[in-house]
Amino acid sequence: MKLNMTEPRLAEELKKMEGEYEPLLPVERKLIWYTFSTGVVLLAIFVLISRWFV
Amino acid sequence: MTNLAATLNQETASEGEALAIVQSRVTEDWLAVWIGLFVFALSLGLLAGIDLLGWAVTTSVWTVPAKALAPASKLYSHLPASFSLVATYFFLLAVLLVGAKALRADLKRFAAGFTAIFIVSYACWFLGSWAYIAATPDKRAALKIPWSLSLTNESGFILALLAGLIVGNFLPGVARWLQEAVRPELYIKTGIVILGGFLGIAALEQRQLATSVIFRGICAIIEAYLIYWPIVYFVSRRYFGFSREWAVPLASGISICGVSAAIATGGAIRARPVVPIMVSSLVVIFAVIELMVLPFAAQHFLYNQPMVAGAWMGLAVKTDGAAVASGAIADALIRAKALAVTGVIYQAGWITGVSATVKVFIDVFIGVWAFILAWIWSAKIEPRSGEKVKVVEIWQRFPKFILGYVATFLIVLGIGIAAPGLIPKVKASMGQANVFRAIFFLMTFFAIGVLSNFRKLWQEGIAKLAAVYVLCLFGYIIWVGLLISWLFFHGVLPPTLKG
Repeated sequence: MKLNMTEPRLAEELKKMEGEYEPLLPVERKLIWYTFSTGVVLLAIFVLISRWFV
Repeated sequence: MTNLAATLNQETASEGEALAIVQSRVTEDWLAVWIGLFVFALSLGLLAGIDLLGWAVTTSVWTVPAKALAPASKLYSHLPASFSLVATYFFLLAVLLVGAKALRADLKRFAAGFTAIFIVSYACWFLGSWAYIAATPDKRAALKIPWSLSLTNESGFILALLAGLIVGNFLPGVARWLQEAVRPELYIKTGIVILGGFLGIAALEQRQLATSVIFRGICAIIEAYLIYWPIVYFVSRRYFGFSREWAVPLASGISICGVSAAIATGGAIRARPVVPIMVSSLVVIFAVIELMVLPFAAQHFLYNQPMVAGAWMGLAVKTDGAAVASGAIADALIRAKALAVTGVIYQAGWITGVSATVKVFIDVFIGVWAFILAWIWSAKIEPRSGEKVKVVEIWQRFPKFILGYVATFLIVLGIGIAAPGLIPKVKASMGQANVFRAIFFLMTFFAIGVLSNFRKLWQEGIAKLAAVYVLCLFGYIIWVGLLISWLFFHGVLPPTLKG
């Protein structure tokens, strides 16, 4: 079977998505929030370590 | 990315080919390791008194074209420069043909494409080394020229990129003819493996600084995964309405390391192969735009903070090739401006080294991140009965070229620590290997340009995808990347040659 790089056309894919919106699940919200907050906390810790100890 | 990228310029590809595209990356990764280690090993012949690579061609800044080219080693100085150039071409052709055979490429088409890429890329290098373009202010008197653009001979990289863009956007027939050899990821990864040895030398000479750079590089990558990714994912899901299948590769492509991350995380959540491929095409295009803009911005605003600039290139520019390439351009531009404005001559290679270090550490964790997403998706979001995520997938998704980079770095460091008397010879060895590193970088620039078909992507209706990319990249990632680079590398300066 040939897969044309223009099929599925991106425009069609995007149109399809507009009609079938997938709401953010609670687990996705948790993933976003936990990841971001862990990043900010680690960033602060590593900045302090790099300034004081390295 | 090779086959993937080549496909981006094709009109069609079979579904099987699309899957093979994703799967063949591992092979190409290993190939970069072996080619890089091969060149590295040959260069170490100097330690045993055997000059195995000294015939390779080098180009110095020139005013008289006939005097531009020369063999890398004095031992071969009797050789005509043209012989040296041709020998370098045949050596690379032979080595890469073996690699192309391993990749099951069409050898005739590869040889023809490589020949054209080598000729155009080296011509750009040669032109970029013209004194009026390349000479820094301190060299003008010796070269007897009244002015110069002070772009150093790395301007050849920019010329190669422009040449590639012309081919990719205006000569589609030529681009198709070249495609078998248009393998930017293979070239850059090979170059990075060789770069490891070069950075090993830098680490030997400045151990404390090198340790500091490595630690800060590790710290800085948390941003790519933990600070970039969730925001881009949230924006694309919440405000642009992308499905999870599209949002994961898109967030990974914009946040982490472009093509590799889009493919790895797309696979992790079982996205259709075409999704990461589409995202990757966008990543390549924007990486080129960043490559043409950010090094010059860094030169203008960060010439007094070179390491911040290097880390910024590694964090903000997506794809390995474009990131390290941006680091190389920023290295040249910033050193030239620092010399012109402050009179300080920074040692070459440290800015590129920081970009490469940051990028390499980001790559290391792609497999881990893909594993985490695969586990969340299979256990929480789209659970499938009897399906378990295996830890071995972390290894399968690990970018293998990093092993080569670490190996060359540690070998050079080990030799230097065990036998300090050998350091000058190791340095000379890495100087020879660096000749090939520069050529691999050059071909990367040209290949990236060839693959950047702006018009075709626009025709694909990429505007909405591009809108997310533009918003997140230029509204968030670049600035947060700059802030974090500043936090970690502010005040850390490369060694100077003279003040």
